[in-house]
Amino acid sequence: MTPIAVWYLNRATGIVVLVLMTLTVVLGAVVRRQVRLPGLPRFGSVTLHRNVSLIAALLLLTHIVTAVIDSYVSIGWLAVLVPFAAGWKPLAVGLGTLAVDLLILIIVTSLLRLRIPERLWRGVHWTSYLLWPLAFLHGLTAGTDMKSGWVLGLALVCAGAVAASAAVAWTGRTRAGGRAPAAVAATRSALSRGSRVAVFRNR
Amino acid sequence: MTASLALPGVLEGRGPDLADHLATFGPLPPADALDLATRAELTGRGGAGFPTAVKLRAVLAAARATRRPPVVVANAAEGEPASAKDGVLLATAPHLVLDGLFLVAGALGADTLVLAAPGRLHRAVEPALAARRRDDVRLHATPDTFLAGEESALAAAVDGGEPLPTAKFPPIRERGVEGRPTLVANVETLARLALLARGRADAGEHTLVTRRAEVAGAALVDVADVALGARLGEVLRIDRGVLAVLIGGYHGTWLPAAVARDVRLDRESLADVGATLGAGVLAALPAGRCGLRETARVMSYLAAESAGQCGPCLNGLPRIAGALELLARPGRFDGRLLEDITRWCGLVAGRGACRHPDGSVRLVASALQVFRDEIRGHAAGRCVARERRPFLPAPGRAR
Repeated sequence: MTPIAVWYLNRATGIVVLVLMTLTVVLGAVVRRQVRLPGLPRFGSVTLHRNVSLIAALLLLTHIVTAVIDSYVSIGWLAVLVPFAAGWKPLAVGLGTLAVDLLILIIVTSLLRLRIPERLWRGVHWTSYLLWPLAFLHGLTAGTDMKSGWVLGLALVCAGAVAASAAVAWTGRTRAGGRAPAAVAATRSALSRGSRVAVFRNR
Repeated sequence: MTASLALPGVLEGRGPDLADHLATFGPLPPADALDLATRAELTGRGGAGFPTAVKLRAVLAAARATRRPPVVVANAAEGEPASAKDGVLLATAPHLVLDGLFLVAGALGADTLVLAAPGRLHRAVEPALAARRRDDVRLHATPDTFLAGEESALAAAVDGGEPLPTAKFPPIRERGVEGRPTLVANVETLARLALLARGRADAGEHTLVTRRAEVAGAALVDVADVALGARLGEVLRIDRGVLAVLIGGYHGTWLPAAVARDVRLDRESLADVGATLGAGVLAALPAGRCGLRETARVMSYLAAESAGQCGPCLNGLPRIAGALELLARPGRFDGRLLEDITRWCGLVAGRGACRHPDGSVRLVASALQVFRDEIRGHAAGRCVARERRPFLPAPGRAR
């Protein structure tokens, strides 16, 4: 692979990972609030959240490998896991390294979810909201594309989406118990009007 | 035998004072809860009537298999709005409940004990707990929801989760609170064990009932300790002023007054007429009330109390409740409504994670049977109701 191709692959995966991680965070809020996505059963959003995040992780692997083998910048293998150990822009790369470390923790605890206390998994999973800003800052400082143009626009849209998702996720989760009274009220009004009764989805 | 019969019953406690308790019932002799439950053929008093000894053995086996000390939860959640027996028991004889809790904990080798009761009852229990100087009993406040006392919902709530029923596998007796084998026992069951340990051999042959009737226009609610096998007509006044009797609670059964009068209060006799003792609710619906209207109100309450987790329950109960409300208004429904209700009842039964849909549908089915004449009257635009005030309590969430 030519050095220029490595550099292009590194930039491209960086941008796509930003989009996919944003999508993961949004889907995480969807899962937490038990929103039903069109065309998907409710458990489908959980699977989608997991699969999108794993694809993001695979692309991130490409992003990391290309960064290390790119001979133009001096980023050693040590810098993949140890923050601020890179020769090139140690602070900017270090932010990315921190995000990678958090991501590994989140993936490992998620794979072990049924074998570890749920609170541990949940606590680690909440650090996603630290991971994303770290990765975002890494993109702003280390990246060469996020300073202007459509990439900056995309980045701002992603930041907005994550902020909105965080607000939705943090304001609580949909309580299953609230659905039944709503269903009773809806049925009562539909029957008294003589109209058809809707099907209540578990949303 | 005579000596043991002289011992007071579960309702004869005198409150949270330990000295009063010892004066009334005497000290708790060492005893094996499993042995007591087996010999007395004691059944659980939370509603299902499951043999206590079988449950104890299952938890014991699970504890041995997993090598983890079990958890015991004394259940006084009493989500049934028409029932008051657990609350009354905790107020009159909290130490008897604690005795039973300690007996069971000893038999199981449990190291974590939980007393789960609505917050309003804690004031009665806290002094009793303090007097026992046992710091291994945790007091847990249960919410006022119908499902709060359901075994898996209670275990989830004690663990800090939402008080909603969970999947039935693995069962709570194997993996409950903190993932440990867990015994959830009704407080009355525990109090009966404490009496059995003191040599009152017939303690298991009595049961607490909450009676609800109307005397001279005023509602009369009380809790009584009655012998299993007693004629219902002797326990509850069922005269001409009574239309029908609700037995068991809101997951229970309506019986016509004529049938109810002679039925015997034990599980076999009640099963013969299609009823269960449930949590011991006995409500005599006075003449001048409409059984359909009462059932519709209760059903709206039950539908709103659905955990909202299982589709058949979330979709089915509100529809059945809505249809019953139409049925309860004279002259407002067409012929297909009855057919629809029957069909929907069949569609929800047996299809929930818990038994909430099954029990709710049982109440509706019995109402459609017992109040047949009422339904015919309503179809013709008539209703026997002269009194608009509701008879059965249905807390406000349904409206």
